[in-house]
Parts: sequence; structure tokens; C-alpha cells
Amino acid sequence: MKRPPFWRNIRVIRAALQIVAVAVVVGAFLYLGNNLRNELVAKGLPTDFSFLSQPTGVNIADSDFDPASPVWRALLVGIKNTFLLVIVGIPFLTILGTLIGVARLSTNWLVAKAAMVYVETLRNIPPLLIILFVFNAVILQLPPPRDPSTPLDWFVISNLKITGPGFAASSGAGALLAIALFAVLAAVIVGIWRTKYSETTGHHSHRVLWSLGVFVAIVLVGYFLTGRPVSMSFPDLDGRVITGGFGGLGSYFAVLIALVMYTASHVAEIVRGSIQAVPKGQTEAANAIALSGFQRLRYVILPQAFRIALPPIINQYLNFAKNTSLAIAIGFTEITLITFQAIGNGYPAPQLILLLMGAYLLFSLTISLLVNILNRRLQLVGN
Amino acid sequence: MQEETPLKRLAILLLALGLVLAACDSGSDDTTTTAAAAGGDETTTTAAAAAGGSMLQTVQDRGTLNCGVNDAVPGFGYTDADGNFSGFDVDYCRAVAAAVLGDANAVTFRPLTAQQRFTALQSGEIDVLIRNTTFTSSRDGREGATFLTTTFYDGQGMMVYAEDGITSIDDMANLSVCVLSGTTTELNLAARFGDTPYTPLTFDANDQLQAAFVAGQCDGWTSDKSQLAGVRSNFPESEGGPEALVILDETFSKEPLGPVVTDGDTQWAQVVNWVVLATITAEEWDLTSANVASYDGDDAGIRRFLGLEIQTDEGATTFDPGLGLPTDFATQVISQVGNYGEIFDRNVGPDTALGLSRGVNALWTDGGLLYSPPYR
Repeated sequence: MKRPPFWRNIRVIRAALQIVAVAVVVGAFLYLGNNLRNELVAKGLPTDFSFLSQPTGVNIADSDFDPASPVWRALLVGIKNTFLLVIVGIPFLTILGTLIGVARLSTNWLVAKAAMVYVETLRNIPPLLIILFVFNAVILQLPPPRDPSTPLDWFVISNLKITGPGFAASSGAGALLAIALFAVLAAVIVGIWRTKYSETTGHHSHRVLWSLGVFVAIVLVGYFLTGRPVSMSFPDLDGRVITGGFGGLGSYFAVLIALVMYTASHVAEIVRGSIQAVPKGQTEAANAIALSGFQRLRYVILPQAFRIALPPIINQYLNFAKNTSLAIAIGFTEITLITFQAIGNGYPAPQLILLLMGAYLLFSLTISLLVNILNRRLQLVGN
Repeated sequence: MQEETPLKRLAILLLALGLVLAACDSGSDDTTTTAAAAGGDETTTTAAAAAGGSMLQTVQDRGTLNCGVNDAVPGFGYTDADGNFSGFDVDYCRAVAAAVLGDANAVTFRPLTAQQRFTALQSGEIDVLIRNTTFTSSRDGREGATFLTTTFYDGQGMMVYAEDGITSIDDMANLSVCVLSGTTTELNLAARFGDTPYTPLTFDANDQLQAAFVAGQCDGWTSDKSQLAGVRSNFPESEGGPEALVILDETFSKEPLGPVVTDGDTQWAQVVNWVVLATITAEEWDLTSANVASYDGDDAGIRRFLGLEIQTDEGATTFDPGLGLPTDFATQVISQVGNYGEIFDRNVGPDTALGLSRGVNALWTDGGLLYSPPYR
């Protein structure tokens, strides 16, 4: 029998179509990039990235950034500030979202309705408005920096900056940090050993207690060996200068609170849907073996619901990271503000926007990479 | 088999990004060849249009002028509740339209933020930018912009609350200062404070900045003094009104503000430039919107300027300096908008809420900086 010609081979057709698709996309990018470049050259505008090493000429709030430092350093400060929003925001929005999602399914009418009102209000308001509201109606209503409030002498609170107790490190703190990292490693090893012990003997493992105990013991010994290099530090107010303590700008807290509340309303809906997606038989089985309400959630429902919820929650994490760009409206110096500031101060817009896109891409891909690793570990075997 | 890991996705996206960067970054020699190959005709024609044809013809064909303005600085560029634009800069947009199109109202105003303005000019979204924009060397060089005759000589100042008792910027160590982001004022602020610690709070719009200032988040508000005067005059009575605020005497920068056009179009630059110069020339000759239409004197200079008939040995003629403008453009500008003094007094002068005096913005004959080359 004669074989059909190769161009009718389905595998050849598929491969060819993919090559064409890639060529079209790459061609489009090349065309647009060239077009941009030609227009810039025609207008006598720079097309290179040498501006990155030029001086910025501005100060940045709440950092020791020097106006003589180059543009790339300013961009790094912006990335750091965006990172501080993301790294603090994601745990908070996850916890708040889970609590509200569970509350929506509560048999207590008041709790369920309150959670419903929270979700339906916040997720239907644009995040920019929530940020403006929190900034203007909450943060700016705090006392001005010329007359801050100092509750308990532990905090210095003004609408410019909120400072609370923190840690102060002296020499030897680096050694303690190394010891702490070693302690984490030791705790993990002990945890694995206790798990194996439990699996072979059938005795209860108490692995959390064991791991914590090992960690605390090592860190405590290290703390005294290195000569107590870390101590509590309380903010101290001298005129307008705050020394010691740990804090952030009012605008930072405004963005953080607003976006955590907004994103948590979306996470709550995902959590609620995922809990409802766990087969009802699981709840009935948990009831049948006389688990309490908390135990049912902790050991039966949430572990299964979490597996369903994780992929859509990644999207909310990504949205959170991208929505931090709205902080420009209230003057928090995250990466978008720093980029637009540089554009306004005469540095080329196309290149800076490209770098800005790269920065958000980096944030999004890192989040999605980390959560996907977690997701793969949680997948059921055989899936 | 077709598992798409994030790592793979990362690799693909970085590759794509890299391609764009490579396209932007490739040497200028091979650009022309690749453009011919990949870009085709369109690229070359748009470039030719930008370089060859004048904006003057484009504007006259279109019938309206696209003018980039401010919409949040009282006295200079401001929109009222009905969406009407008014202000010193806005009047200069109208003057250009009166000269080029014969109609001061044939203007489409494009309100722009400080950060958007040069991109809007570069991309051709606006024909001329008249938005309290400071003339600096790096803007002239890096933004592809041509700065024309300064319409307002300004300087940067600092506004504080009267009750704080601040008398000099040297008293402001460790205090916080609100400033608009992406402006020359931001750079001057950093230079003025030098090694003195302070907290700059940068906003991208004046209304949110004002909210922060009212709440006491910042102790000082720095900007061009004329803008500060506008803000002070409009300061809400509920917050103490204008008397609650003091603008410090110190002026710590030069801020020459004027119209800006894009590089590479000399004819259009000359046109906009001579519209500004015409308003100054008119004030030198005491020509106002009230008397310009009825001028029937025989001063040859004024008759040349207004495009009136001049008797020569070979009969009557009108003077055309060859700028590409109608010979009576100055008459149109002055009758429809006014001379420099009228524009100043109407928007920012002593009888307005801003109450600015002419200061250095007076004619050179009065000891100011306004000086127009002769129109002949």
C-alpha cells in the first residue's frame, strides 16, 4: 500500500503549524521593536540603556537613597518596596480570605451574612477606590507627624509613618543568623526522623514539638554564645526623628490594608467554592467518627479543599502583585512610581516601560513558580 | 507529555522579551536593512512624514489645534465644573489657534499629567505643549523637544503652614515635603536640601497631594511659586483659607515656562514662537484687544505688524515675513486673545485670586525680561 504524501501526515502538519505560529509571533515582535526603534531614531531619541548609570537626582522617602545614585539603584529600591508589599500581603490575604470563606459557610446566620456582605462589597469595588479610601479616610486621619501619638511608648503613630517595637542587632548578629539557619536545618532533619519513627513503630510522632524544641534550644544556646547580639528595640521620638523600632510609611500601610482586604474577598469566594466541592460524604464520614467541628475542618475538609483552591488562588496572588502598581496614586514609592518618576525626569520612556514590564513579569513568574511547586506536592498520586 | 512547567514558560517569555530588547538594541547600521526587510514601506513613510511635511499644514488641514495643557493649576491651566478650560497657558493655545486657523476657539485641549506630557508630544498626540513646562537642557536634548520663547519666568518656592513658624528652608531639617513626581521641582528640592535629611512625598496629581498637605502628612509643599500662589488662593476656607499658608521668600530655582514643540519641524517652531513674540510686541505698542481692530494710524512698523496695507512707490502691499502665517495673524491673535499684559492680568494678575505682580515678567522697557526681536 502506498503511504500518503508527507504533507498529509498529521504530525508534520502539527509541527508545521507550530513553526508558523512561532514565526508569526516572533515576526510581530521584531516588526514592532524595529518600528519603535526607527521612530525613536527619526526623532533623535536615545535607544540604548546607558541612562541606567546616570544620577537619579531625587531622594526617596524612608530610605537613605542618595540623589547622586544611578537610576538602576532607584529601580532596585522600587522593586524592594513592591516586594515588601507582596511578601507581607500574601500571607495576610491568605489567612483573612480563608477565615472569611469558612465564615460564609457557617451555620451561624449572623457570621455567614456578615462574611457575605464583606465579600460582595469589597470584590465589587475597584481596588484603586479602596486604596484611595483607606489612604484618605483611615491613614490620613491619624495624627500628623508634628503631633504623633505614642501609645504605651511602644509605638509612634502618625499619618506619615507608623513605627512599633522591633529588633536591634549589634555585632555577632550575623553569626546568630547562621546558627538560626543551622537550627532550621536541624529541626527539619529531626522532623523527618520523627516521621520515620512514627511510621515504623506506630507511636505518635510529636514531630512538631520535637522540631520546635530542637530549633529553640539551638537558637537559645547560640544567642548566649554569641553574646546576646539581638535585643528588643522600641521607637524613640526626638523632635521629628524616630530612632529604633520597626515601621513603615503610612502610604505603605494604606496600600497593604486596602489590597489585602480586596484580594481576600476574592480568595474567600475560592475557599468557599472549594469547600463546597469536597464531596458531602466526607463531612458525613467525619461526623460518623465523631470528629468535632474544628477537627472536621482541620483534618478532613480543608486539606482536600486546599488542593482544589490552590490553582485559582495563584491568580489572586498574581493580581495582588500587579495591583500594587496602583500605589502610585497615593505616592508610595514602589516600582511603578519610581519608573514614572524617572520618565518624568527625562529618562527614556520606552526602555523604562520595558524594564517595568520585566520587573512585574519576574514577580509573577516567581510567585507562580513557587506556588506551582507547592501545588505539585499536594496533588493526589496518580493525577 | 505536553506538560507546561512554569520554568518552560519562563524560558519562552524571557526569550520573547530578549528578542524585543535585541530589536531595540541592535546597531543602527543594520536597522535600515532590517527595516526595509521586515518593516516595509510604512516605517519609512511615517518617518518621512515626521521629517518632511510641516505640522503647520497638518493643523490647517485638520482645522483644529491639539494643545497639551494642565487642568489642575488655577490661573495657568484649569478646568471648571462645566469642563471649560481657562488660564494663562490655555490662552496661549488659543493665541496659536487664532494665528494659524483664524479662530481662537478651534482648539482641542488635551489635559496631561507631568509624566505624560513629553510622551504625548513625541507620539504626535498633541501639536504643541503649553503646560507650565520648564526649559532645561536635558529636556531639550533627551526628550526630542524644542523649547520656544519663555512666556512666564517663574522660580521654585516652598509653602508651609503659618502656624508652624517656619521662616526658611534651613528650618526644615527632618520635615516632610510634598512634591509632584516627574517635575524639575523634584530635582531642585533634592539639590536645595543637599545633605539635610528630609522626607519627600511624591504624588502624581495635585488633588491627592493637597489632601496629604491638608492632613499634615507633609509640612511643606514645593512647586513653582506661581502654582503655589494659585493653590493658596484656592485653599478651602474650612482649612483656614489662604491666610493659613505662607509662601517662603526664598526662590531656589529658575523655572522659565514656555511652549514646546517637537524637534525637526523648524517652520512649526517659528510659527508658535512668533505667536508668543507677537503678544509681547503688541504690548510694546499698546495694541490691545479693544483697539487693534480700529487701528488706522500711519506708523509703518505697526501697519507691517498688523498686516495692514502699506503704500510704496509701486502701490499698496502688505508685509509678509514668510513665516507661513497669514499676514494679519497678529491682528487675529490680539483681537481674539489679547496682548501679553492682557493675558497676564486676566489670568494671574493683581485683580485675580492669584494676585501676582508682573515682577520679572514685565517688558524690558519696564525693567523686566520680556523682549521681542523686531517684526520687520
